[in-house]
Amino acid sequence: MTQESSKPIAASTPEPTFQPTPARRFGLRSAPLELRMLALAIIIAVALSLLSPYFLRTNNLLNLLDQSVSVGIVSIGMTFVILTGGIDLSVGSVVGLTGVILGLALHHFSIPVAIALATLSGAGIGLFSGLLIAYFDLAAFVITLGVMAIGRSLAYIFSGQTSISDIPPQLNDLVYTEVFGIQTNVLTLLALYALAWAYLTYTKGGRTIYAVGSNREAARTAGLNVLFYSVVPYVVSGALSAIAATLMSSQILSIDPLAGTGLELDAIAAVVIGGASLYGGRGTIIGTLIGVFIMVIIRNGLNLLGVSPFWQGSAIGAIIIAAVLAERLLSPRTRR
Amino acid sequence: MTDLAAPLLEARAISKSFAQTRALVGANLTLRAGVTHALLGANGAGKSTLSRVISGHVRRDGGEILYRGAPRNVRSPREALDAGIAMVMQETSLAPDLSVLENIFLPDLGRPGRLSRPTMRMRASEILADLGQEHAVSLNAEARDLSAAQRQLVEIAKALALKANLIIFDEPTASLSPSEVERLFDVIARLESAQCAVVFVSHRLEEVFAISDEITVMREGRTVAASRPTSSLNQTELVRLMVGRDLGSIYAPSSVTIDKRGEPVLSVRALRAPPMVRDISFDLHRGEILGLGGLVGAGRSETVETLFGLRPRVGGEVLYEGRPFAPRSPTEAIRAGIGFVAEDRRRQSIVPDLSVRENLLLAHLGAHRGFGLGYGKREKKIDELMARLDLPPDRLSEPNLLNFSGGMQQKIIIARWLLLEPKVLILDEPTKGVDIGTRASIYAILRDIAATGAAILIVSSEFEELLGLADRVIVVSDGASIADVPSAYLDEEKLTLLAAPRASMERYRRLLQELANQCDGAAFWAILDDDRVFCLNTATANPKADPSLSAGSAPRFDETPISAALRARASDFVADPTSGLQSLLVDVRSHRGHELGSIGVVIRPDGAAPPAEAMRSAIQERFRATL
Repeated sequence: MTQESSKPIAASTPEPTFQPTPARRFGLRSAPLELRMLALAIIIAVALSLLSPYFLRTNNLLNLLDQSVSVGIVSIGMTFVILTGGIDLSVGSVVGLTGVILGLALHHFSIPVAIALATLSGAGIGLFSGLLIAYFDLAAFVITLGVMAIGRSLAYIFSGQTSISDIPPQLNDLVYTEVFGIQTNVLTLLALYALAWAYLTYTKGGRTIYAVGSNREAARTAGLNVLFYSVVPYVVSGALSAIAATLMSSQILSIDPLAGTGLELDAIAAVVIGGASLYGGRGTIIGTLIGVFIMVIIRNGLNLLGVSPFWQGSAIGAIIIAAVLAERLLSPRTRR
Repeated sequence: MTDLAAPLLEARAISKSFAQTRALVGANLTLRAGVTHALLGANGAGKSTLSRVISGHVRRDGGEILYRGAPRNVRSPREALDAGIAMVMQETSLAPDLSVLENIFLPDLGRPGRLSRPTMRMRASEILADLGQEHAVSLNAEARDLSAAQRQLVEIAKALALKANLIIFDEPTASLSPSEVERLFDVIARLESAQCAVVFVSHRLEEVFAISDEITVMREGRTVAASRPTSSLNQTELVRLMVGRDLGSIYAPSSVTIDKRGEPVLSVRALRAPPMVRDISFDLHRGEILGLGGLVGAGRSETVETLFGLRPRVGGEVLYEGRPFAPRSPTEAIRAGIGFVAEDRRRQSIVPDLSVRENLLLAHLGAHRGFGLGYGKREKKIDELMARLDLPPDRLSEPNLLNFSGGMQQKIIIARWLLLEPKVLILDEPTKGVDIGTRASIYAILRDIAATGAAILIVSSEFEELLGLADRVIVVSDGASIADVPSAYLDEEKLTLLAAPRASMERYRRLLQELANQCDGAAFWAILDDDRVFCLNTATANPKADPSLSAGSAPRFDETPISAALRARASDFVADPTSGLQSLLVDVRSHRGHELGSIGVVIRPDGAAPPAEAMRSAIQERFRATL
């Protein structure tokens, strides 16, 4: 009887009585998470603009957006995975491997076919991890750790341990073509976020992902396809890693088998700063975008302030811990 | 009774809240050494929470506890155990991978110092012998392999091993057969005479009257009657105290009669899903409320979960609307028109991160085919349901269903399924943790939807609820359906006897078979009402002497070939004028004097009846030995 959950009712009334709605408070606790995180992002930005006159310059702001693209795209997939209560440690090495696959494919096929091949192989790797995790009920952490090692190793083998640089310069257009004065890679980022947001909010699949992460057993009992929607996030994550790899390669016209190293940590950090719970069920795609911006702004600010890159890890780490701690302390969700 | 003794433990004005739910608001309890105290209350009244506060499993928010006259702050089960307070949990707290022996001494494993296995083994055997159960369970068995009753036994042995001077039994009888209950009562009596304070938490009033000296009644988190002598109260008064009004009114009367019910919509034959479901058969008809009754652990939840596609089925046949039906997932069952309110709301129903509205729409989402949500087309039905369930529509937009009271949560979960207008609605313990007011409205809704032609299947461990709500009860014991009885013919006592686990039923059956063989006739065990005989079990050695009774059947006297004997209840064999069968009825009772119906012996018309008096005492003796 863990839920001995009676409440006082008037002794002799047959009508059910209701508990008062918890008092609505205004302020930090009652604001949606995204707003709290947005406020945090703005505070950091204002602080940085005071510390460094260069921070608010258009050039720097555009630069910030540009730097957000690859970690931002990978973080979408990471959000999907974390919402189901899983984790995907393989994204960084999938970026490396699919980049190499893209480079090799470009030697034989046209640009669109090569990109499609790279994306499909990313999705395929996600499908592999997802199936193992969902159907054999294996720990996501362990499976994606294994895939991470395999991916990086294959990236080295396929690339012959060197970077691939003989790729068509037209790929540059994928990044630098401007629409309404904004670079295509930034537009791609925003478009993917809009799509992901719509999917998670307005489709059966999106809501199922939340339900699976929040209470798998209840989702199953209500007839939701728990197994299928436990696999989907890994496929999305793999495919988006390939898209991120494509944009990275297009920008620098060179493909390094080392590309994406450590990206999984940045993505997980962005998702967590964005308010998602690693237990699943909680988090939003907008929050993740803000989390990505917070990460990028802080890196950028630390660079502008001339902080040693060796200290930057400590700063980012402290911020991740602070964000999670603040979320736990402020969260209205009750615990025993 | 030691009325004047100083209290061993006094709990005053205890309060405790879980999140938004106030489980206790000013609960009082006074316990004395050598007194058995019954703690009563409806589901969700706070009995378990109060017990857990006293035993240190839950920390109180307010109030004080005096132990041996001094304030005592019990902060953990460990501290409670050190003070000599032990609790036998309702949901057992055994470590599944450890042996029975290790489990019995589990509290000692947490203490510093060495443990000697031979000593432990000796003490454990002594304790089990004291319980009269030295053969019921092997000390080497792993706890995971035990039956529900065996686990309960180990729990009790565990408390006894501590030599505690205050033991709380939290619904100890929910999974015990009548003979095991008798034995438990013997143990409690022995504890009482050893000056132990015993708390007995139960909602089976019959047991409360049999065992307790004093009664404390709780309702909605507070004590409404404190330490009343059991002898000063009767059943009606107790129910009124527990419920706050007369209970009879909360069950809406059935509108269907057994002969006017509709077509069977679900036919289950020899359903198997080991280990818990072994042989279940029944028919569920349109427009009726069918109950699955039995002890906790008998396999009822597993049966309905198998029907709903949550568990794999191994054997048997299910016909749904006349066609074979074998859902591999809940999705298939839902799309076929079956709804399922699961037993454990927190674990199986509530999705805490979705809003209340989305929780309500969750089964719709499961049934929905398509990429989008399709919420729009349900709007009208939602408004309708909210009105019908007395739920204010504005609460739908709240973010967390866990902030609702148990009753409100359950209404939302039931609404989740009603939204889909199911043809079959299965409910597993639908009023667990639900307050009385909400219970009444849930019962009314279930009646309503049954009246519109839906078929309802209910699993409930509260026999009284099952009998009040269901038109018919399928009794399940050890994974097999053993009787199909209209609830009008049943009462709690008969249900308790029928639901006995197979192992003990088998012993009765063997006794009956021996009797039948001995006089080359038939024997039966039954409870006699004014004009009906409710048969619990039968055995036949000679078909010519068959009284045509079967377990769970409840014919009127004149529908049997032995009506003269049933009416006469004579002390000798009575020959029936019509059939010529000669029968003897012998009342049987437990060694505690509890009446357990009658054993009947039937001899064919031309057979020679043995001397009745010798037969009578032999039967009574052997029956007691069988218990």
